[in-house]
Amino acid sequence: MHFAWNAEQETFRSTVRAFLAANLPRDWESLAHGPASEAQSSFSKRFCGKLAEAGLLVPHWPKRWGGRDAGAWTAFILAEEMWEAGEPRGGQYMNVNWIGPALMRFGSEEQQARYIPPMARGETIWCQGFSEPEAGSDLASLRTRAEKHGSSYRINGQKIWTSYAQHADTCFLLARTSPGRDGISVFLVPMDTPGIIVREIPSLIGEGDIHEVFWDNVEVPGSTLFGAEGQAWEIARAALSLERVGIPRFALATKMLHRAVSMLERSGRFGHGAIEQAARARAACEAARFYSYSIVDQREHGIPTGPEASAARFATVMAERAVHEFVVEQVPEALCGGEAMLLAHHQRAIVAGIASGAAEIQLNLIATDLLKLPREPR
Amino acid sequence: MDFRLTADQSALVEAIDKLAAQFEAKPTEFRGFALLGDELDKELEYGQYFDIAQVPELGALCAAMAVERLARLPYATEIALSMLVRPQLPGDWPRPLAVVENGRPGRFVAAASTILVIEGEGISLVRTAAGDAQPVESLFAYPMARWKGRAERTALSGDEAAKLRKWLRIALAAEASGLLQAALASAVDHLTQRKQFGRPLGTFQALRHRMAECAVLAGGVRWLALKAADTADPADATLAALHAQESATRIVYDVHQMLGAMGMTLEHPLHLWTYRLKALLSELGGRGGQALAVAEECFGD
Repeated sequence: MHFAWNAEQETFRSTVRAFLAANLPRDWESLAHGPASEAQSSFSKRFCGKLAEAGLLVPHWPKRWGGRDAGAWTAFILAEEMWEAGEPRGGQYMNVNWIGPALMRFGSEEQQARYIPPMARGETIWCQGFSEPEAGSDLASLRTRAEKHGSSYRINGQKIWTSYAQHADTCFLLARTSPGRDGISVFLVPMDTPGIIVREIPSLIGEGDIHEVFWDNVEVPGSTLFGAEGQAWEIARAALSLERVGIPRFALATKMLHRAVSMLERSGRFGHGAIEQAARARAACEAARFYSYSIVDQREHGIPTGPEASAARFATVMAERAVHEFVVEQVPEALCGGEAMLLAHHQRAIVAGIASGAAEIQLNLIATDLLKLPREPR
Repeated sequence: MDFRLTADQSALVEAIDKLAAQFEAKPTEFRGFALLGDELDKELEYGQYFDIAQVPELGALCAAMAVERLARLPYATEIALSMLVRPQLPGDWPRPLAVVENGRPGRFVAAASTILVIEGEGISLVRTAAGDAQPVESLFAYPMARWKGRAERTALSGDEAAKLRKWLRIALAAEASGLLQAALASAVDHLTQRKQFGRPLGTFQALRHRMAECAVLAGGVRWLALKAADTADPADATLAALHAQESATRIVYDVHQMLGAMGMTLEHPLHLWTYRLKALLSELGGRGGQALAVAEECFGD
């Protein structure tokens, strides 16, 4: 065990930083970059194209799919630098993190050939059709159904909280093909299929971020089925295990904490109360960072990740909370048009414990699988 | 960055585990406040474990791992200062070590051969003589004593004092990490065995979530302590110590809530960890002092 970056890791980080310095516009921070906004989505297509050309979009993917088998540390260093910069990849981070890898593992040859190359070129945006009005944390109770009609499926139902839906080319959709948890299947559905209606939900978390998606007699060919019928639970588990330590939220949180402290110092307001709160938040960020690193290191060495991934996620949720509360309390002007990135960070931070699954579900997993407490009765 | 243990690190962890196994349980008849580990101390001396930080293939990171593992035992033994701070003293000062901070009673002061006297920003070293220390009764699960301070002191330079303060913070964090893990494990045992309303307490979500949050905090303390021991970076040391004291404050309270009245007895071993943690909470300026140090190390441009 040692905690110093090796030369390869340091070089890679410098390369990514140099790329960002050369390719982010000067006024990047003041752009409206709710991650799913119109401006951000069109910017991210150009930006991801350039990343791909520089070999920095999917370096951790296999050579066959446009990567260079660079490993989990490379993927995470890349993610840290991107998130810290305000995630110029927009929704495409999902492709890189888990949709691409899921396609490589579970997709048919046809699906792989159709979907992976555009992802590796940075040209395509996906959304994930998981949550429903009646199925949030209890995802297995989802009701959107896909009924087989000859060689095609007819999809009816409703999804909600779907990020990027307005700009997405394809939906990674969970739908029921038969009753029970083993009756859920994944479909890869082009978002321009007739019968799909997307409606934006105005929210606290940025322009164009969350949506309702209605599925009204949406006819799709049998080839849109991803994996086997009933395999969704296995696929979603694999995907979510990558997503649990997917976004290095602590990186932007740390940067924003330092920025807020600088603002206070400049105006002579960094007194005792603020110092204590800032120091606590800084320690929480650092704990989240090394918790997350421990999971990345397991991935790098092919060690299956256990319940520590849930602990890393929760540590990150606590760090995000500590930083955004610090800003609200000490630098409230940041949320009144004072600092675009602090505002953008706040909007992202408040979903840390909700997006990709409620943090309380992680606490259940930690209690059972890490602490080995007896299970709750069901 | 590579968190796999090297062959040397694995061998050390295995050896410490084996040694620790003999001291895992509190003697059933013991009903005191501090359980002294003289036998454990002897075993560690015999195996030359107090010097592992100076062994090039092991280093301070291994010493921190050992401190953490041994702190999980119910015995209070002066390990952390000897393993992590003593190698940083200018010259050869005999162990055990103790710290006397601004004239307050300190841990292991009566048994110490060398005292680190902290007064304000300054640190000086003292070789103790018989009769220098006055043991005091205390709730803390360490032997506490007041030092009467007659012997001649060797004052350290500002740089030497800053370096020692850094390693004192790392030692505190590593020890707290082990104590936190043991306290949590003790609470998990209770929640698994104790039944109310016809089912184990550990099945109630209100308690499960609280324990899970504590486990996340304790895990963070561990990572920050190990990292600081490896990098020897002053900023890392301040973050590790702050997160340790911050987390311990909450976890000590929460695990006692989990144990109910049973945790108030001297029969149950919980206090052997929680009342060591309570002693650590005020050290090196406590959370407030640590926060100022974090601000200086991490936010000063």
